[in-house]
Amino acid sequence: MKYTTPFLRLLPVIGAVVASVGCQESKTPDFRLNMVRMVSTETDGDYQQEIANVLDGLFGTPDQPIAPAGSGLDQAKLNLAAGPAWSDDAGVNHGLYRKHCVHCHGVTGDGRGPTARFLNPYPRDYRMGLFKFKSNAAADRPTDEDLHRILWNGAPGTSMPSFSLLASAEIEALVEYVKYLAIRGEVERALTSYVYDELGEDEDDEGRVYRIPLNPVDGEYAEDQREAIADIVADVSETWQAANESVVVPDEDAIPELDNRTAEERAASIVKGRELFYDKRANCYTCHGPTGLGDGQTTDYDMWTKEQLELIAATDSLADSVAEEREADDLDEDDLRELDRSEQLLSDREDVIATLYPIRNAIPRNLRAGVYRGGRRRIDIYWRIHQGIPGSPMPGVGATLSDEEIWNLVDYVLSLPYEAASIPQRALPVNAETLVN
Amino acid sequence: MIRIATFSLPMAIAAVAFAALADMPASAAEWGSIKGRFVFDGDVKAEPISITKDKEYCGNHKLVDETVVTGEKNGLANMFVYLYLKRGDSVDVHPDYEKSASEPAVLDNNECRFEPHAMTLWTKQPLEIRNSDPGIGHNTNAMKLTANPSFNEIIPNDKPAVKNFEKSEPAPSPFACNIHPWMSAYVLIRDNPYMAASAKDGTFEIKNVPAGKHEFVVWHEGKGNVRNLKLGKEKTDRKGRVEFEIKAGETLDLGEVKVTEKDLGL
Repeated sequence: MKYTTPFLRLLPVIGAVVASVGCQESKTPDFRLNMVRMVSTETDGDYQQEIANVLDGLFGTPDQPIAPAGSGLDQAKLNLAAGPAWSDDAGVNHGLYRKHCVHCHGVTGDGRGPTARFLNPYPRDYRMGLFKFKSNAAADRPTDEDLHRILWNGAPGTSMPSFSLLASAEIEALVEYVKYLAIRGEVERALTSYVYDELGEDEDDEGRVYRIPLNPVDGEYAEDQREAIADIVADVSETWQAANESVVVPDEDAIPELDNRTAEERAASIVKGRELFYDKRANCYTCHGPTGLGDGQTTDYDMWTKEQLELIAATDSLADSVAEEREADDLDEDDLRELDRSEQLLSDREDVIATLYPIRNAIPRNLRAGVYRGGRRRIDIYWRIHQGIPGSPMPGVGATLSDEEIWNLVDYVLSLPYEAASIPQRALPVNAETLVN
Repeated sequence: MIRIATFSLPMAIAAVAFAALADMPASAAEWGSIKGRFVFDGDVKAEPISITKDKEYCGNHKLVDETVVTGEKNGLANMFVYLYLKRGDSVDVHPDYEKSASEPAVLDNNECRFEPHAMTLWTKQPLEIRNSDPGIGHNTNAMKLTANPSFNEIIPNDKPAVKNFEKSEPAPSPFACNIHPWMSAYVLIRDNPYMAASAKDGTFEIKNVPAGKHEFVVWHEGKGNVRNLKLGKEKTDRKGRVEFEIKAGETLDLGEVKVTEKDLGL
């Protein structure tokens, strides 16, 4: 089986061409395959086409989305959010995603819309199902309320604006559509794993190699595969449907969320929070820097970027081994076939890598700026500290610090922008106690 | 009458028992083992790590890169070998494994590295993550788990994190510490105990596998699935899988398995 790169590149186009043969001049947008994932998992052109077919069958197209059975998605909301942007006679807006979101987040929700390359940070790629600013357990998908909140508030410090001018129903439709794109992306990832783990080539009794296609519609594997695909959709959807179950609710007897303390009480809490900031149990200063300027650990990456870096590293190593093998003169027929395959994979990977945006580090937040991407309420900061920020290097301390201690940290973090940064001693933990007294 | 009855009853039981045995696939009562020793055929020296955090403590431990770890007689450590199972397949587990099932497996943050660097974890066992570095803050980032809930938590000295997993991960999962970026470990989580990570001297053994034909995966962090690797008479395929027949009461000894730099993608 060979990689057919020209065909791959055409994949998104083919559908568009077929659809545009009619009367429209502009191309109908099509979902794009997750090519980083495809070439990382050595999913070849045939399987890519088959995965695209399965995804089409399950999720429909950007103009006609389908809420797959068992996904829990609301078809009516998807319909309102999908398709071209227009308003009907009654003034109801349709095609909300394409009107408000697509230029950054892309048709597929891959964070690669036309403007994405020019933004810092890059827009969120939904396809891992991973979202940073949530109220529940790190492992879980965000709640509807979490997504609603970030649409309403925007993400300060990023290019994500507030959509609070939209009608509530419109925001809800968009939340549903983001979930749809995320679930679709996660199912795509799971399908590549399924293809890798379960399908591929097999040998019959006479030693003939044959390929097991991904075809849940007909053929001898169809029934098994339908079952497997239904399981995948159910597994992915379950993590979304269970999102509300793990919402982190602070203990009532710790410092209350509604802050009605005296100035003295608050000051005392800030002092404790500062101690924890430098304490090894919370260890905040290691990454956020001894002065909280976000300059402690600046060489790490987020998970979206790490996937790209892993592909780049694997490709470098593949390039070396291909170069080495080209030099060898003792290759038999099998080796040559293997080399052929590796060369094809290498060129496919290089093509994909060439499309990546410049790699950026995950920089810890400057806590003195007073800008909080996931919200500035005390409860927002509490959630960030309690569960960490999924996808970023930020770990959670919910299992190790008491609720009161986390609130102390919240108080300190929220006090940092108002503290004079010009006292260099503050940088040194050893001096913290002196300063406090 | 009585005579006939007493005579025929044991016969009937024997006949039923025999029929049941004959129907059993890969008779669960019969077990065999597989073992071998990975030997590194190459020249990779463990590079010292430049310590960027907690220098005054971590700097005292002569830390080296652990991508390739070799021991006595070029034994190659941290090679994973594990049973490949298709979706929905299960495997009988020998009763001996059950005895140790509830004991937690320990992953320790010790001297600014993970100990062990490569480990296996049966889903029946809890994973206890400790921090034995006094006064040093570590976090354990296991956000790359796919089948099980991921996590990324601070691990203090006095309070180990205990994690339970339910499902098999398809391959060893990377565990990292973001505070000390050089720290890495690989934990293979499976819902059966048929797996091993090779020891310092390169040896591994998987005991009491149900007799019969099984596919195994060979995996190393440098390469992922290790392809075209000769193990005894067999060779791994493109996905690092290789089939062996495990015979009842016998140990299949693969002898020395030579692993080159190229096999590990170095």
